[in-house]
Amino acid sequence: MTEATRTPLLSMRGISKRFGGVEALVGVDLEVHRGEVVALVGDNAAGKSTLAKMVAGVLTPDAGLIEIDGVPVTIPTPAAAHALGVATVFQELALCDNLDVTSNLFLGRELRDGRGARDDERMEQVARQILRDLTSRIPTVRVPLSHLSAGQRQAVAIARTLIGSPRLVVLDEPTASLSVAQTAEVLVHIEGLRDLGLGVVLISHNMTDVRSVADRVEVLRHGRNNGSFDARSTGYEHIIAAITGASRAATPRPVPLRS
Amino acid sequence: MSTTTDVNVPSPTPPGTPRVPLGQRLQGLGGNARQYGIFGALVVIILLFQVLTDGKLLLANNVAALFQQNAYVMILAIGMVMVIVAGHIDLSVGSVVAFVGGVVAVTMRDPIGLPWIAAVLVGLAVGAMVGAWQGFWVAYVGIPAFIVTLAGMLVFRGLALVIVGETLAGLPPAFIRISKGSLPPWLNYVGNMDGVTLVIGALAVAAIVLTQVRARRSLRRHDLHVEALGLFVTKLAAIAVGIGILTVILSFSAGGTPIVLVIVGVLVVAYSFLMGRTVFGRHIYAIGGNRSAAALSGVSTRRVDFWIFVNMGLLAGVAAIVTTARAGAAIAAAGQNFELDAIAACFIGGAAVTGGIGRVSGAIVGALIMGVLNMGLSILSVDPAWQMAIKGFVLLLAVAFDLLNKRRAGTQ
Repeated sequence: MTEATRTPLLSMRGISKRFGGVEALVGVDLEVHRGEVVALVGDNAAGKSTLAKMVAGVLTPDAGLIEIDGVPVTIPTPAAAHALGVATVFQELALCDNLDVTSNLFLGRELRDGRGARDDERMEQVARQILRDLTSRIPTVRVPLSHLSAGQRQAVAIARTLIGSPRLVVLDEPTASLSVAQTAEVLVHIEGLRDLGLGVVLISHNMTDVRSVADRVEVLRHGRNNGSFDARSTGYEHIIAAITGASRAATPRPVPLRS
Repeated sequence: MSTTTDVNVPSPTPPGTPRVPLGQRLQGLGGNARQYGIFGALVVIILLFQVLTDGKLLLANNVAALFQQNAYVMILAIGMVMVIVAGHIDLSVGSVVAFVGGVVAVTMRDPIGLPWIAAVLVGLAVGAMVGAWQGFWVAYVGIPAFIVTLAGMLVFRGLALVIVGETLAGLPPAFIRISKGSLPPWLNYVGNMDGVTLVIGALAVAAIVLTQVRARRSLRRHDLHVEALGLFVTKLAAIAVGIGILTVILSFSAGGTPIVLVIVGVLVVAYSFLMGRTVFGRHIYAIGGNRSAAALSGVSTRRVDFWIFVNMGLLAGVAAIVTTARAGAAIAAAGQNFELDAIAACFIGGAAVTGGIGRVSGAIVGALIMGVLNMGLSILSVDPAWQMAIKGFVLLLAVAFDLLNKRRAGTQ
């Protein structure tokens, strides 16, 4: 996928973040190009979600540079991220169960008509269009989210990212807690995003998912970059090794106790 | 996205989920079933007391009095339902009513002696400022609304005592008319019926039919699902008949249309629009449904929280004016338990304790149910102690019924 453009869509360099005494990220680099799915993998607490939250405007880095389309940016709020064309699906589903599908899709970015009033009709039309494009099986956009299955809700969460024509989509564990069929559907959605020419950051624990849709795999370990791999050609065990650190650390050996 | 259409992925839809047309039809009903249920309960209670009181309940003057006595609950319930939907509570409104009532009375009386309209505006402004004060602590400092308004309950009751002492009487008659008066008979009487009331009723029906038909046509134009024509017509007919009956009864009353009914009517229309058709209203529901999701979606939760409380303060100001005018005096002890009346009205009207669910119309119907109970039991000269106990049971039953219904419907 290097035929895209030379300027990466998203470029993060030397990103650091600490929470109190904990170094969540230390000098992390990440690049994403148009039409590319970059998987961000790593063990628990490797800093994946922290990095995603910085792109989404939920957290701000202590140090480092973020560029979007070659322009240095700061992303102080989720609204700012949206204005920059970044859409995020959070691990903890950011949906409101009491609102219907349309309301959830447009939450925080409602359409208004010429007089500034909320334009429900147009929002519902767009919602139906987007869900049809994603071939999602949601019976009606007027049903509250509490009536939908986990897979359908995830489809709504992904459909949300298409509102307002984003350039970059960040998905934090989109297939966790989904069934096999639902996972397959979400992966199809991700390929759809790539085919639309968007850049995608996919955070996942699931190596099968990662290898089936990602173009490149970036490994984080203890808040640092720990290798970049081509998803198609790299063996499973190499990526696992980078995640667990087995490639660097020596295998622990039993230490004989002195009698 | 055409590439995705030919990929055949097994359906994630569980077998029990209804298919498109049936699902839509059920949904159209399901979303409003609770609403219809509350209206039904109101009708049943009215008919019950109409029979028990030998037809005294719906005597013209009693119906007018029903609105004059309960206007404060309806006004407060409108603000309270917004507070509750957002996941908060406001315990201070009764004290705020007493405090603002005191302010209004003081500004009207000597030595300040402002004209009553100016005093009303001062009262509204003070109410909004009280709301801003509480909204600041809730939204920007992050103290739970329960605590902030519990403090407000004490603070503003205390301030009311400071300003009023015990009672400040001798208010201008024009001010007192707000609660005790009716619209002047600008038009002729038709038989014994007040022309103004009949015209207002007709206009209200026409306005409702017109907006509903236009909304339906707009959905059609956008090629969106509309409810079945039969249901639509039945609903409109029921509304028209309801308003028609109320209009005719009121037109026989001594004064015609009570002024407070006009105030309540305007507020209901305005706030139903605010909650149902504006971005701000949508954000209130979103915050109540999932606060962190709303924040992650770019909803400014603090700003919304703040304005909800400013609005509650403003409406408490309106309720203070109505209450003070009705008593003909500012009373330091006024507004006792008003917060509980308003909260009960919201919950009877279908609001969820956990937030995210509730409607202005539901809260109004809840207030009316309480009001009809009050009036019916009073006509039957039931001991006030028992009245209180009966109202408590009704609140408990209403919420229990709602909860059981929800469980049976299978939504968690």
